[in-house]
Amino acid sequence: MLSQPLICPACGSENIVGVEQCGSCQQSLTELSLKKPRSSVEASLLRDVVGDLPVHAPLAVSPTDTVAAALSAMDAGRVGCVVVTEGERMIGIFTERDALVRLTGDLATVRTEPISKYMTAHPARIAASDKIAFAIHQMELGGYRHLPVMEGERCVSVISIRDILRYLTERISDGAA
Amino acid sequence: MDWQLSLETERVTAAHPESPLTTRGDASIDAVLELLRSNHRGAVLVLDGEKMVGIFTERDALRLMARGADLSAPVRTVLATTPISVQRDVTVGTAIRRMSDGGYRHLPIVDYTGRPSGMVTVRGILRYLVEHFPDTIYNLPPASTPSSQLREGA
Repeated sequence: MLSQPLICPACGSENIVGVEQCGSCQQSLTELSLKKPRSSVEASLLRDVVGDLPVHAPLAVSPTDTVAAALSAMDAGRVGCVVVTEGERMIGIFTERDALVRLTGDLATVRTEPISKYMTAHPARIAASDKIAFAIHQMELGGYRHLPVMEGERCVSVISIRDILRYLTERISDGAA
Repeated sequence: MDWQLSLETERVTAAHPESPLTTRGDASIDAVLELLRSNHRGAVLVLDGEKMVGIFTERDALRLMARGADLSAPVRTVLATTPISVQRDVTVGTAIRRMSDGGYRHLPIVDYTGRPSGMVTVRGILRYLVEHFPDTIYNLPPASTPSSQLREGA
């Protein structure tokens, strides 16, 4: 029986079992030769990239928009975060968590202030070509619930912990069927 | 151990539930927001005696702040319907599905009398997953950068 191809964790190419380097990107595969994914979910995690998740176009606000405008956009758009952009360039992110933690004091005053005062500048980011396992790692390490997916300086999507849960539940039921 | 199997056999208590943060229905929304902040939590259970009558989350906080609501009002006036909860003997897989289907980030664990004993969070679930895929998740290079462009190298 032929064994399963070895999937390179860096570029996703298939290699024959036993090779030391990935044929397309030269990533060392020696560790992987010893272990095989233990389940189909684990195999999916090694293969699938952030770009395989549904795209959620970011809700963008400008740095001079008021806190009230940003909050209303999040409420109306039923999203957990807005991306703060200057032209095409993302300069920050503001989440539901930030609203709770940072908007203290007199809310009537705070609501009129610019969102740039309360946003997180230079948030953690990922690319569509990053592995889903990498996105999970980032979220777990940083305690993030949202990660902007970047194309250069432009945010093209925002993935959330909810997308990850959905991705996993789909894989779990696939496996059980 | 096979991961899918463990999802269907392991109890939800393995997914790092937090101890429940609770308040009473007559507490003001302002006080509840402060409770969430000081405890670094995203949700609080509202109790009537020992029984859970509602859940107040960050999402509710955002909605109220966005609409400029009166935050001195008692929290019971803004509670949604009774939250979905699970008992402590359900599996991790069931809890994940229930959260994913309902779009919940918090899932209270209650005993048969309706008394809350814990709270499952998406973060706890994520941690559980990471613990079960350490090889896959931690050994991954951050970006697909080839170690050398040319096979012949230097």
